[in-house]
Amino acid sequence: MSTAMTTGRPAGTRTYLQLGIIWALLLTVPLWLPMLGGYTAIAGRVLVFALAAMGFNMLLGFTGVMSFGHAAYFGLGAYGAGLTLKYVAASTPLAMLAGTLLGGIAGTLFGLLLVRRRGVYFAMVTIAFGQVCFYIAYKWDSFTGGYDGLRGFLRAPIDLGFTRIDIAGNETLFYFFVLFVFGLAVGLQALILASPFGRTLLAIRENERRARFLGLPVERHIWLSFSISCFFTALAGTLYALLNNFADPLGLNYIMSGNIVMITVMGGMRTFWGPLVGAVLFVMLQDYVSSMTTNWMFFVGMAFVLVVLFFPRGLMGMLQKRSAA
Amino acid sequence: MSDGIRLTAGRRKFLAATAAVGGLQLSSPFIIKARGDVPVKIGFIDPITGSLSALAVSEVEGAKWTVDQMNKKGGILGRPVQLLVEDSANDTGTGVQKAHKLIERDKVDVIMGDVNSGIAYAIMGVTSDKKVLHIVPGGHTDPITGKDCKWNTFRTCNTTAMDAAAVTGELVKRFGKKWFFVTPDYAYGQTLQANFVKNLEKLGGTWQGDMLPIANADFSATLIKAKAFKPDVLLNNMGGAAQINCMKQFVQFGMAKEMALGGALFEIEAIRSVPKEAQTGWWVMEWYWNQPNVPQVKEFVDAISPSIGNRKPTARHWMAYVSLQAVKLAAEKAKTLEAVKMAQALSDLELPPDVSLSPNKIKYRAGDHQLMSDIFVGQVHPPGPDGPDDLFKVEEIVTGEKAAGPAEETGCKLVWPS
Repeated sequence: MSTAMTTGRPAGTRTYLQLGIIWALLLTVPLWLPMLGGYTAIAGRVLVFALAAMGFNMLLGFTGVMSFGHAAYFGLGAYGAGLTLKYVAASTPLAMLAGTLLGGIAGTLFGLLLVRRRGVYFAMVTIAFGQVCFYIAYKWDSFTGGYDGLRGFLRAPIDLGFTRIDIAGNETLFYFFVLFVFGLAVGLQALILASPFGRTLLAIRENERRARFLGLPVERHIWLSFSISCFFTALAGTLYALLNNFADPLGLNYIMSGNIVMITVMGGMRTFWGPLVGAVLFVMLQDYVSSMTTNWMFFVGMAFVLVVLFFPRGLMGMLQKRSAA
Repeated sequence: MSDGIRLTAGRRKFLAATAAVGGLQLSSPFIIKARGDVPVKIGFIDPITGSLSALAVSEVEGAKWTVDQMNKKGGILGRPVQLLVEDSANDTGTGVQKAHKLIERDKVDVIMGDVNSGIAYAIMGVTSDKKVLHIVPGGHTDPITGKDCKWNTFRTCNTTAMDAAAVTGELVKRFGKKWFFVTPDYAYGQTLQANFVKNLEKLGGTWQGDMLPIANADFSATLIKAKAFKPDVLLNNMGGAAQINCMKQFVQFGMAKEMALGGALFEIEAIRSVPKEAQTGWWVMEWYWNQPNVPQVKEFVDAISPSIGNRKPTARHWMAYVSLQAVKLAAEKAKTLEAVKMAQALSDLELPPDVSLSPNKIKYRAGDHQLMSDIFVGQVHPPGPDGPDDLFKVEEIVTGEKAAGPAEETGCKLVWPS
């Protein structure tokens, strides 16, 4: 899929093989992860960050616009879900809907203000909005729980009428639930990117001026891309709240935005599956190295520097370049 | 061009080698050692990086030493004890993730942590959900053993209510009733200031204050405000590195001559790091190494000192020590590591003097699982005749029960699993 996405060639055997491997690995996580010393919650975390970064990558990798404030929509998604579960109703689907809408609509409205900015100005304004959200969550103690985060909610089992899926008590089931949502979202994103709209985004990324001369409404496309990207990232945020049973103002902070950028760039920002690879690397590094040394941030940073120096197209980008050669 | 290709191949080899070395590092912890007994696993989550790291490092030092001692004396229930330390990085999300990791992957029997009240609080959500015994050695915010208390959570350090109640009277008596607060804006700071205000207003005092981010570095605006208010006492409620920065700026602003200093906690770790002029004021110690009337304290201090760089142990070393010893006592009384039975055994279990290391009898009371430890109120001073850690003069010892009030008033209702 990804080869087709970036080059415009029809999908070949290699693409299906790649897809097959990725999904086979994801579906069998509960079987092989414990053998490698992992645990199911960390696989959920990988998927959540991958989804957030894939949403972000739609903007950075496929439209060519840099946002440094995607944590805002991630965090709004998490708070939206948490607040719904805490104050409105113990319904997981409702919480996810509310969180996604909160983050997505905030991004859509805010996108209106920034589509005319480019480059560093675009990035600066997105940081500013992210920090505004962070300080609201931080200061509004009675409602959001302030610095200590929003507690006191639990993900609820999903009632399908004929059966009940106990994602609250069963970690493995919850992982499959996250994987299911991830699959739907990623599939939808692939459809969007393969559509004429997605092609237009690529055209804007490659040469904005030429796209404008062709009569394409560039601003509107960037705005739509930003908005869609925020919806995906907010959806990831709702899953993060369900995963931890907790929402945290640092999830809105610019550091989290930086993490999302790092994941995307490490994995490969112009490839479809790059952010997933980046999320695996980032979460594993953070989790394992921090158990071994207090200087774990140094190693995460070094990994990032190495990837940027040696594989500027990210890990996934390098693999593809190699196989294409 | 060909040069470029050669270079790339070189890089690839280098990176492959790096990755292989990295992989070896990662794989080593997962080798199961099939010798001896299955260890009793204790997970210890603390902010070893971030603004509270000095306190967390002391706790971890204390925990490591205690576990070594335990293993020399037969461990817990005849099984060796394994301590698994995880860094919460002073970030709640990371702390929660580490709790999941310790419980799900490492299958620990007990969780301890965190210095940061907010993280301790968030970890409680995981431990109560998974029914794992949880001891909070050093997170002070009240609801942990108050309105949000849990059957599986015990706390070793004091509540903010206890610390505030113990020192308020003394500060008012010595300096006056007009106070200015510098408080960190998170669970610990908020409950601490609220308790101070409650006690102060009962005595007819007035106050002003500023709530600042937990890792605040620049206090100039707040200190100018404090100067204008002309308080009798400035209460520095910040913790860790932020408290030290605030003290240094307080001295630089020449405010040490204009108002008294005081507050709840000014821990040895922080006192060591501030200029002499700021080593002053009336404060609370939750434990102090110099207790001439308790012989066990001297034994403990002499035993632990060599392994912590020949410094005196601080309250944080003691908190880790008591928490781990309490687990051992509970497991041995219950004769099992099952969380519910251990929690029941630990409730109202009086700690022997070689564990409590305190002048009075102390226990985790059954009503709210809060340790009723002695509170040492006194004056901080620059290093005295007993060495660089002789920084505090105990003026009064308040019992835990007296400072805490009855358990029913904390709002704690323990619900045990059926």
